[in-house]
Amino acid sequence: MGEFSVMRKTASFGCLIAGLILMIWGLAMAIGKTGNTLRGGALVVGAVLFFAGLYLFPTFKHHRTIVNIIFLFPLLFAFAVTVIIPLVLGIGYSFTDWNGIKMKGFVGMANYTRMFKQPGFIWSILITFLFVVFNIILVNLVAFLLALLCTSKIKGLGFFRAAYFLPNLIGGIVLGYIWQFIFSNVITKFTTALFDARYSMLSETKTAFIGIVIVYVWQYAGYIMLIYITGLNTIPGDVLEASSIDGANATQTLFNIKIPMIAPTITICTFLTLTSAFKQFDVNLALTNGTGSVADFMGNYLTNGTEMLALNIYSTAVINNEYAFGEAKAVLFFIILAVVSIVQVRISNKREVEL
Amino acid sequence: MKSRFLSVLLAGAMVASLSACGGAATATAPAADAGSEAEATTDEEAPAEEADSAAPAASGEGVRLLNGKPEIDQQLQDLAKLYNEETGNTLIVETIGGDTNASDELKKMYQADNMPDIFVIEANQADTWDGMLADLAGEAWTDKTGFELINASMGTIGFPYTVEATALGYNADVLKAAGVDPASLTSPSAYADAFKTLDEKKGELGITAVLGWCAEPANLGWSSGTHVFAQYLDAGLKADDTTYIDLLNDGGKVDEKRMKDFAEFIGMMNQYSDPELLVDGTYDQQVAGFKDGKYAFITQGNWCVTSPDDVSFECGFAPYAFEDGIDTIIAGPPSYWVAYSEGNVDGAKEFFNWCSGDSAQNILVNQAGLVSPFDDCKYEAVNPFYKSMKSYIDAGKYSGWHTMLKKDGLQNVTCQVFADYAQGKLDADGFASTMAQVIQSYYAN
Repeated sequence: MGEFSVMRKTASFGCLIAGLILMIWGLAMAIGKTGNTLRGGALVVGAVLFFAGLYLFPTFKHHRTIVNIIFLFPLLFAFAVTVIIPLVLGIGYSFTDWNGIKMKGFVGMANYTRMFKQPGFIWSILITFLFVVFNIILVNLVAFLLALLCTSKIKGLGFFRAAYFLPNLIGGIVLGYIWQFIFSNVITKFTTALFDARYSMLSETKTAFIGIVIVYVWQYAGYIMLIYITGLNTIPGDVLEASSIDGANATQTLFNIKIPMIAPTITICTFLTLTSAFKQFDVNLALTNGTGSVADFMGNYLTNGTEMLALNIYSTAVINNEYAFGEAKAVLFFIILAVVSIVQVRISNKREVEL
Repeated sequence: MKSRFLSVLLAGAMVASLSACGGAATATAPAADAGSEAEATTDEEAPAEEADSAAPAASGEGVRLLNGKPEIDQQLQDLAKLYNEETGNTLIVETIGGDTNASDELKKMYQADNMPDIFVIEANQADTWDGMLADLAGEAWTDKTGFELINASMGTIGFPYTVEATALGYNADVLKAAGVDPASLTSPSAYADAFKTLDEKKGELGITAVLGWCAEPANLGWSSGTHVFAQYLDAGLKADDTTYIDLLNDGGKVDEKRMKDFAEFIGMMNQYSDPELLVDGTYDQQVAGFKDGKYAFITQGNWCVTSPDDVSFECGFAPYAFEDGIDTIIAGPPSYWVAYSEGNVDGAKEFFNWCSGDSAQNILVNQAGLVSPFDDCKYEAVNPFYKSMKSYIDAGKYSGWHTMLKKDGLQNVTCQVFADYAQGKLDADGFASTMAQVIQSYYAN
């Protein structure tokens, strides 16, 4: 300690103390709603002084740790403000009767038990799972076929890759409206002529569900295709060459060489499609807004035939004005997603996937 | 040297990001926030700088108004300018536009302690704000209108800024050519005859279909689920009669006989509507079809045709006469301006009084195309439906907008039943019983 000058010590402690005082003063003014416009400035200057003091803190042993903390702080702060605090608050709100404005009191587990008595919500969970299964299979299949096409020796490869990837760059809401037009005004022309089915496929729950799957595959397959292309390109040329010398035909090469060689890529893509399909919201909102009827589900006539989990949570909170109930559903959604993600990470780690 | 430079740069970036975070936190002062909020929410017609420059005055005696109708934003900015010229007071108009719902935005503003002094609510949102809205009883403007919003616990809370009406809008020229007298349309049988006549003369009259009625649920659910459903709740009733809305809000009960009659009438509408429009049409198609004279009737309100230039024919309203003798249209303010009790209440009251006066009504009626709710307003609205609306209102033949008092989100449930009926999946009995069932389970859950 003796190696530090008095100046340094004074500066450090002075900055720390002044910074703390300024921050506390600023916070007190903000909490007390004094309306003093200096409060923000005081808080910022206080924080900067505090970190300056921390940096100058007279220690050799902990200096590196302090520097690490200072550098990590902005990220951790932002992470806390945007993720951790809202998560904790959200879980807290799910036990209340908060309506977005006022909270009259705690209701315990009532929101959690209530959601399982709502046939519409159970239906949403079911079709979300169904949607996930459909998507994992279809997106991966389509993406893999596109990737095979885009790694073959056809002309204009760059164009095809870009063209397949392009839908992924369009936002889901815009896609939803574009496809709504296609389903209602273009496809109906063909279905009227062929089957005398005049109405849009979006007006029937089952076909509307297929519609959402089609749009989602169209949007997402290009993205997954890129990952498959990367995977296919990492297959060593000598293996392929050896197989062709041994007389393997295209099918044999595909099933016995290419697919086993890109197994890690398949794992990655499966999980990517899994989590993103679970969180499906924008296409669902723009395309059908959850409409569609189910004549008899748990003894009820349901009117939210194509409403998936994320959209159900949104309408519960925002449209129906039941924020706390929506929060409770969101907590359940979080648990489902967390379980899926943990399983994903576990399996990925086990296989030691290299992208 | 290079790494030293890099570390200085990184440290600088860190400090800058820190102060940026802190800078945002300072913006909780009401004045500064008015600017930032306006910047975030006003659409391009109201440049952010304008709101910014006006913001400092807000901390004093200015009044902030949150408008939920983006289509009249420019006119309200003009109104604010005129208010300032005539009285010296400041009015800052912030508009929530497009797909953002004013009530969502208000919740954010409330959480951020950044409430406007005046904001827009629909009648059923009053309870959400229980105890937070100022009582405006006794203000001079309340003597000039019967349309103010009165709440049981908070008193007179809502200032009506416009009156809107919904019923079966008709093309008077087509009806005349077909020999149908709109005044006779007060019973289901009269409608059955009129629809039949019109349908038979379609070619001769140059119309595609008798009705432009669209039951598409995803985007037009508000039309069927709120507005057409409103007819079940209110058609034929006096404006203050709450029989069926009270029944509905008592656990989702439905009057079977009335619902059955309503179902029969909707069935007739399904039958005569343009099949291209009925199940998967859009609002734009529906309105464009009516404006082009393709339909004799349209199931919208006076908002669908706002300018006389839009149509080359006379427009009017006919009641949804699904029972004999129904002769009212639904008319009244669909939403209100209310004063936040912890805001500048005096400023808000002053503005409301000025706003009910001549110069303000001039802008609201003649420029914004609204229909004035005030008795002494001398301006005739330009809206092509106005004449017909006024004749109903003057004769006292109007019912209330009680549909706005139903449970939040009910329209998203009922609109699907309308859609299923339109597709032919349900018959009239099925419609009535399904409607009763879905409403009841919605209220139960």
